[in-house]
Amino acid sequence: MKIYNKKYLFAALFASFLVVGCSNDDDSMNPTPPTMEADFTGTFSQVDHMGRPGINTVLNGSADNKNMHNKTIPSNMQATFQASFQARLEALHDAYAVLLGADPADINYEPNILGDILNGAEPTSEANPNIVSAEVLTTVLSNDVLEVAPNAPTVYFDGGAGAPSFEGAIGFTGRKLQDDVIDVSLILLFGGETGARFNGEGGLPQLVTDGVAITADNITTSFPYIGAPE
Amino acid sequence: MKKIKIIAVLGIILAAPIFIAADHVDAPGVAGSSADIADFYAFEPTEGSDNTVFIVDVQSNVLPDLTYGEFDEDVLIEINIDLDGDLVEDQVIQAIPRDGIMYFFGPFSPSSTGLNSQIDTNTALGSVEISSNTAITSTTSNGVSLFAGPRQDAFYFDFVRFNQVIAPTAEDKSGFNVPGTDTFDGANTLSIALEVPNSLLGTPTAQNVIGVPVYKTWVTTNRKQ
Repeated sequence: MKIYNKKYLFAALFASFLVVGCSNDDDSMNPTPPTMEADFTGTFSQVDHMGRPGINTVLNGSADNKNMHNKTIPSNMQATFQASFQARLEALHDAYAVLLGADPADINYEPNILGDILNGAEPTSEANPNIVSAEVLTTVLSNDVLEVAPNAPTVYFDGGAGAPSFEGAIGFTGRKLQDDVIDVSLILLFGGETGARFNGEGGLPQLVTDGVAITADNITTSFPYIGAPE
Repeated sequence: MKKIKIIAVLGIILAAPIFIAADHVDAPGVAGSSADIADFYAFEPTEGSDNTVFIVDVQSNVLPDLTYGEFDEDVLIEINIDLDGDLVEDQVIQAIPRDGIMYFFGPFSPSSTGLNSQIDTNTALGSVEISSNTAITSTTSNGVSLFAGPRQDAFYFDFVRFNQVIAPTAEDKSGFNVPGTDTFDGANTLSIALEVPNSLLGTPTAQNVIGVPVYKTWVTTNRKQ
């Protein structure tokens, strides 16, 4: 069963602008000294930003862009970075094309498994094209925020049974400590429509997994959920 | 034209030998400083829970010579939560250390949004003693669990190989190794963790690509001027 529908992609891209108010000024009870004893005055200016993992690291190429990204508010990010993210994605493909002895013009980003999933039961074809173009993918990623669902299980992304059915695919509901965000990112950037385009076979480089998993003692089952320092 | 672009990319890659995800050492302006965000997690702690957990990691000792060890009293950590999908924060939670204690404020609706912040002392949430190796936690009267201290860096990535993968040579262009080597195994980071009842954050009208209501969240570090 495919639970995705492409309309939701566009619903997300053109989200509504309703205002939700909420006020929570509850007093707190603490075992530690009251906050009034400490000085909290002053203005604090933003120096670093993070939403999804790896966005600034991978998709911003220059030092100036990396620094600028950390000081850009999310509502300005798409206008500022989408075009350069798209160019960077293409350039990373070109760099490998050169090493593989191919014409860079022949090795381009290929729409990824998200498009297959969002297309639903109909197979991707000329009449039903994969909608996750480089522009669509970098548009979503340029809005560098992490979505977390308050009332759904957290899965960064799981392609389910994989190509071609993607049975059980689920995701975009947050980031758990154990989620393999690197492999997900590699698959979406380099995996193409099967998720395994550059899979280390047939003379191609392995670009869709880094081959590592979480270390068991990094996480715990109770708050604060992260393991004691080593 | 095409060739110029390729050379430029390779030049950038070769000029940046330290190149780490998820957000560790992500930009020269903040890399290795006490304000360098290493990672950000947001999740439902158990299936069906009415709480959301936020974990922010700053600093890391994954590489020698990086600043690591103590929270900086001049650095304000801010978790931003957008409810309506306009990518502007509707709720913020702030954390800043003073004399061995991490103080938390919010969630509150900020009077102004953007790149500059003040601490809203009228919205004190609670505080927790900064832990050493054994985790010390506290729970506020409105049900928020708090933690601050050194923890293992839970991020996993073969970043040594990654640096080679993005700078392929004629002799080595095979991509990642399977299995690889987790560079972050054994690394530590400074974490803050909060488990917050969703009722304190508000009900989101924003949705993800599959139509599920979501908070759109991000974390910032902010240095005192």
